[in-house]
Amino acid sequence: MYNRFPHAPRRVSAARTTSLIALLMAVLWLASAHAADSESREYDSQVMAEGLVHPWSLAFLPDGRMLVTERAGRLRLVDVQDGLREAPVSGVPDVFASGQAGLKDVVLAPDFADSGELYLTYACGTARANGLCLARARWQDDALQDVQTLFTTRPTKRGDAHYGGRMVFLPDDTLVLTLGDGFDYREAAQDPGSHIGKTVRLNRDGSVPADNPFVGHAGVLPEIYTLGHRNAQGIVFDATTQRLYAHEHGPRGGDELNLLAPGKNYGWPLVTHGKDYTGARITPYTTLPGFEPPMVDWTPSIAPAGMTQYRGDLFPQWEGNLLVAALAGKRVHRVVLSDEGARDEEQLFGEINARFRDVRTGPDGAVYLLTDSPAGRLLRITPAER
Amino acid sequence: MQKMIVSAMRMLVYFILAVLCASLAGSVIQSQFNLVAISALGAPVPVPVWLATTLEDLAGFAPLYAAMMAVSLLLALPVAALALRLLTPAQRSTWQLPVYALAGALGICAAFLAANAAAPMPTLIAATRSVAGTLAMMLSGALGGWVFARLHTLDQ
Repeated sequence: MYNRFPHAPRRVSAARTTSLIALLMAVLWLASAHAADSESREYDSQVMAEGLVHPWSLAFLPDGRMLVTERAGRLRLVDVQDGLREAPVSGVPDVFASGQAGLKDVVLAPDFADSGELYLTYACGTARANGLCLARARWQDDALQDVQTLFTTRPTKRGDAHYGGRMVFLPDDTLVLTLGDGFDYREAAQDPGSHIGKTVRLNRDGSVPADNPFVGHAGVLPEIYTLGHRNAQGIVFDATTQRLYAHEHGPRGGDELNLLAPGKNYGWPLVTHGKDYTGARITPYTTLPGFEPPMVDWTPSIAPAGMTQYRGDLFPQWEGNLLVAALAGKRVHRVVLSDEGARDEEQLFGEINARFRDVRTGPDGAVYLLTDSPAGRLLRITPAER
Repeated sequence: MQKMIVSAMRMLVYFILAVLCASLAGSVIQSQFNLVAISALGAPVPVPVWLATTLEDLAGFAPLYAAMMAVSLLLALPVAALALRLLTPAQRSTWQLPVYALAGALGICAAFLAANAAAPMPTLIAATRSVAGTLAMMLSGALGGWVFARLHTLDQ
């Protein structure tokens, strides 16, 4: 009896179950669609410029216009009303443009309104012997004048990868500049006689500040501020807490956010949470005495490529947070800072579906994003109008 | 027909064994280069850590290297066989093992160059950044060619 119609009741049950599952899925789909819609309406995205060739960095001029570097070696001017000016800014120094090499950061001097000075970093040299250069120029008549190369990394290296190239001014008017490990030269990040894999601190004329941590140390380059970095592409000084933050690309895993302090060693390649792209171990160690641990470790990698500390009125809930642009992650990570450390709180702008090269806080409180592609865009993010 | 199938199966087994030996050897070699570099920077690397890292690389690195080795030997071994045909039977018996080993070494070297050209990073396998490291890793390719030829010789 039990086996007589073994399947019939189950068929009814299966049909009901299927209907219920279908209904549940429909409800979930509607709910998720609503959620996604709500999320997308939390902010508006406005295209300020497009057709930028691998844009890398962004600076805001006092008159409301913006300067954007393109990796190929062009500096572009973006007007809020008129958009991207077709002709690139003249006077940019010759760059070594190949692979990851090219024009990198643009930063205005703190007294730009008076001095008109701005600073550029760029790969310089040839495929066989190159490095990172820092140049100073004067902004006049929408062009660069009096361009001077202030600093060139040494020793030179081969190849076109891992330059670092981000910079930030400290309150004492010195400049901290990130320098990459050149990919094939990772061990040099621990060599105090090399600029490779370091940050350096310079005066505005390129000279070495007398209070740099290694001034007077035999065998140590006096420009060095911190050691043991792989490829730092984000650096921010928090004026409120007087802290200096930098993030850097790890290999496969091991992307880091670090709190930089003069003279400290951040461990690459002796300590890392990442492995080589082949799956091989670079080092057996994730920690060792004498090396600073990261505040945040991103494993798997997000490929952090730019950073801002949000200070503005449009997104009060993000006040003081770090926004980290991610290339591989195709998101902007919001990192909340505290006395205890840092917490990767949430990921933003995923629906834009782009590799983010840079993120900046505009003087208007909006968040500005550069997307990395041969047809990159400059986006302005504001809260959604409700 | 059956004889041909059996022969082909044998060749396949020899090939798999050659790839296995070569990729394991290559993994161990590259681990030593990386660990020597870490040790040279002043970090203590005691023997247990050394062994554990080498073993970990057998799981983490060797599979990718086996794929590279398989492709390179797949191309290099037939080239070695063709090269041997240019020799007399007497010369062939003398030179068979060296020619296969050389083909394996040059094959994996070509694979390194191709991978570096195709991959976004300048050098895919860190151990091959130096001439010494490249030559040492080529030994693993040579081992692959040698194992294949040796098994083939034993068969004959």
